[in-house]
Amino acid sequence: MIPEISVGKQRSLLVRLSPALLGVLLGMLALGPALAPGFTLRYDMVFVPDPPIFRDLGGFPRSVPSDLVVAVLSYPIPAMLVQKLILLGIFLLAATGAAALVPRDRTAARLVAAAFYAWNLYLAQRLLLGQWALLLGYAGLPWAVRAAAQSGVRRFAIALIPAAVGGFQAMLVTLLAVLPVTARHPERWRAIATASTVAAVFSLPWLIPALRSGAATDPAGVDAFAARADGPFGTVGSLLSLGGIWNAEAGVPGQGSWASATIRLLVSAIAIWGFARLLRRSRDPALSGLAVAAALGLGIACLGAFLPDALKTLISWWPAFGPLRDGQVYLAPLALVLALGLASFARGRFGLAAVVVPVLVLPTLAIGAFGRLTAADYPAEWRQVQRIVNADPAPGALVSLPWRAHRVFRWTGGQVILDPATKLFARRVVWNDTLMIESRESGTIAVTAEDPLARRVGALLAEPGPAAPRLAAAGIRYILVSHANENEFLLKLQDVTPIFRGESLLLLRL
Amino acid sequence: MLKVFVAVAIGAVLAGLASAAVINVASPSLEPPDKPLYNYGTR
Repeated sequence: MIPEISVGKQRSLLVRLSPALLGVLLGMLALGPALAPGFTLRYDMVFVPDPPIFRDLGGFPRSVPSDLVVAVLSYPIPAMLVQKLILLGIFLLAATGAAALVPRDRTAARLVAAAFYAWNLYLAQRLLLGQWALLLGYAGLPWAVRAAAQSGVRRFAIALIPAAVGGFQAMLVTLLAVLPVTARHPERWRAIATASTVAAVFSLPWLIPALRSGAATDPAGVDAFAARADGPFGTVGSLLSLGGIWNAEAGVPGQGSWASATIRLLVSAIAIWGFARLLRRSRDPALSGLAVAAALGLGIACLGAFLPDALKTLISWWPAFGPLRDGQVYLAPLALVLALGLASFARGRFGLAAVVVPVLVLPTLAIGAFGRLTAADYPAEWRQVQRIVNADPAPGALVSLPWRAHRVFRWTGGQVILDPATKLFARRVVWNDTLMIESRESGTIAVTAEDPLARRVGALLAEPGPAAPRLAAAGIRYILVSHANENEFLLKLQDVTPIFRGESLLLLRL
Repeated sequence: MLKVFVAVAIGAVLAGLASAAVINVASPSLEPPDKPLYNYGTR
């Protein structure tokens, strides 16, 4: 697992840098139009101009500390550039990390591992769901595995930085891969203690607010977020091909066709065979730890799909089991196993040609997944509202209406995005974090709000009669309404004076 | 020599399928929706 260069072999700078160059190249090919000036907005991926560094987050710490890191980086560099650097960095980190797990004198194998790990269905689907923070953890995962297989607190701490920035999901996925590797370490208990301590310290930014938030986890999330079949080979076939994400709209175009799904499954089968062969030959304890992690990840991914009631019981018993509801996330170690397994076949010049296989297997991720990832800039009215609210020193929260978490704006090119108001303001923003998911089998699933204040404000808004006095009493100072002409709540807020009225935004102060 | 033929054949099949996949998805264009409220997704 820890590559050693053959004595006396000199490698050119180009060869040494080739995984990094390949990662950047694949990133540019995948992101395509998203690299144009503007923000790339899609589902959970919401970057805003001039994000406030000191935000009153309250509620469940969803984007902690990723949003803080973005805000700090956006102080000297424009936020849209920060976003592009992060997205390209994911591809760079993923490619170089996978390559770093292959012996240094096997250039072709290093590049195939890099290409597969930076260009596969898992990465594509999570990117199309906008989960860049999770992908930071995914990209850093091979580095964390490598550091765990070696020794040293400092090395492991550095390798864990991407997951630490990404937040709870990124950290959990990384730990799933790292802990079985440390369990196979010659100094097992010391390695486990080091990994657990560093991970625990890096998790404090989200762990403490999560424990103090009083957030609840709705077991209905299991029905909403369990892995599903996104091709002709059922849920297990989809998962083995690194697909199976719960959201059909996060699929890569054309991925469900027989030809595409068959090729992906075949490539997975070949890669698993290759990894088994590698395991048998090398007897590397770190590789066997990684195999255990991949099997565990696949098991977790299957849990919500095949034993939903068991998972619901676990979540009802202790909400900390909530992160298991989106089980497909835990396929990340399997992606690394497949990358290393496929790379094990690559030898010589013909092996080098296999670098293009991941792209040919999933060609429609290119050019921003054929237009799914684009760049758009916020209309001036959003920045005006941001300036007005952030310049006001008076305390009080801001409520974002309509009372739903997701929005579609014409200026985003019709992309569904999380309400940008959740990230624009320094004060506490109250938004309806109830997640609505349309299921073809069971109709609309509502995953109940996790934030206690959101539940309270939602109840106040639902009561008949003027809402302003009730909201003011609950500590609300501003109400931001988008798509004002179609908002039913305006009838309850008629007695409030608007302080800003734009083409599609209305700002009210109580 | 056989390896070369096998590699070329696999490459040709993959390239053919990739081209077909690209042509299939390149034609339809996304229709911008016009609803203010949206779901997180569809499953």
